[in-house]
Amino acid sequence: MSDDHDHDHEHHHHLRESESYYAARTKALESLFREKGMIGVDTVDRVIRFFEHEMGPFNGAKVVAKAWTDPAFKARLLADANKAIAELGLKDGIEGENLRVVENTTAAHNVVCCTLCSCWPWPLLGLPPYWFKDPVFRARIVREPRGVLADFGVSLPEDKRIDIWDSSAQVRYFVIPERPAGTEGWPEEKLAALVSTEAMQGLGLVSA
Amino acid sequence: MKVQHFLGGIENLGPVAVEKRVFVEPWEAQLFAVHTTMMGTGIWAWPDLRVLAEGMSPLDYFKYRYYIKWLGGMCHFLVAKNYISEKELEERTKHFLEHPDAPLPNSGDNAVTERVIEYFYTGANPYRDVAVDPLFKVGDKVRVKDMPPAVHTRLPGYLRNKVGVIDTVYKGAYLYADNVPTDGISTTQPVYLVKFKTRDLWSDIPDKGDVLYNDCFEVYLEAA
Repeated sequence: MSDDHDHDHEHHHHLRESESYYAARTKALESLFREKGMIGVDTVDRVIRFFEHEMGPFNGAKVVAKAWTDPAFKARLLADANKAIAELGLKDGIEGENLRVVENTTAAHNVVCCTLCSCWPWPLLGLPPYWFKDPVFRARIVREPRGVLADFGVSLPEDKRIDIWDSSAQVRYFVIPERPAGTEGWPEEKLAALVSTEAMQGLGLVSA
Repeated sequence: MKVQHFLGGIENLGPVAVEKRVFVEPWEAQLFAVHTTMMGTGIWAWPDLRVLAEGMSPLDYFKYRYYIKWLGGMCHFLVAKNYISEKELEERTKHFLEHPDAPLPNSGDNAVTERVIEYFYTGANPYRDVAVDPLFKVGDKVRVKDMPPAVHTRLPGYLRNKVGVIDTVYKGAYLYADNVPTDGISTTQPVYLVKFKTRDLWSDIPDKGDVLYNDCFEVYLEAA
């Protein structure tokens, strides 16, 4: 009897842990939301498009390219990021009401994390990728940043200091990576295309 | 003690899964959009989701992918708060399991869409432009208090009892949340950027001069 019960339980458990189950349950949620007038027919598509085209890492890359080419802008960005990004026509908003920009230099490299959850500067980078939310990343980055950087294929000079920013209150951090050599005179658009999401949180370097 | 409050510094976990995608299954994007709808229409806020994540079995917390945890948390919350019933959720899930390509009802409130998009740009700024009298100033040595366990905290466990230096006193004050039980951050208060030497956090690591910054609510700090 207990065997049957265990079997049923496991069967049930298995069904509830499949991608098709998660997909059906998610669809059930949207379906019920629609019936109850809690969501629009076009809301889900609009939200997905919003993060594909309006609030994403292309915003941050634009900021980096401008900071690389305009030292006065960079100074304003480091002093008051929310104000400075508005100069580029970028709006702040959710998860970016209080932004702070830090800069990688030959002396120090910055890495950003959120050990408690997944705090991330949405207006500049859109939504956080999976690695940022990985409990292993969150556990290790604060204690062994060089080991984590190695997992990302990044190795820093021996004598470079690492500044770790663990976001847990109200400020969202953003990193200006070091500008790669050989890009002198490049237009901003071409520079922006070099900059990855990872580089803008210190988990990648930029190369030309 | 909740492991979720003490992730920073855990050893022997092996390599980081360097997955650069935001969503790895199409249902995750759909779920995320439903979540933001709940945020934008005031059904819930981040702290509600955090309370559920921090209340999970730590083994499950490590086991399940990010959006799988969200799915569980959202369903639990919506049923507990009577937005939907367990029965209709189960029946509808069964329906879509049996008919994965069945269409969604062609009804809804399209006014919600712009409300949600507008919410992305207005956000929910916890900043409060009120006069405060911060206890600490730049350069002060502070010790992070060992706060009693709470349903929800914004204090990373590895910083407890550690000493750092005030790097920035943020202007004004911040209210973290007033809709869930916390360890003292449900009242408007100053927030400080505190600077720690990582060797002061973990004495056994190689001395590379590394520094760790964390924003601390005032209630978490005492003079050192």
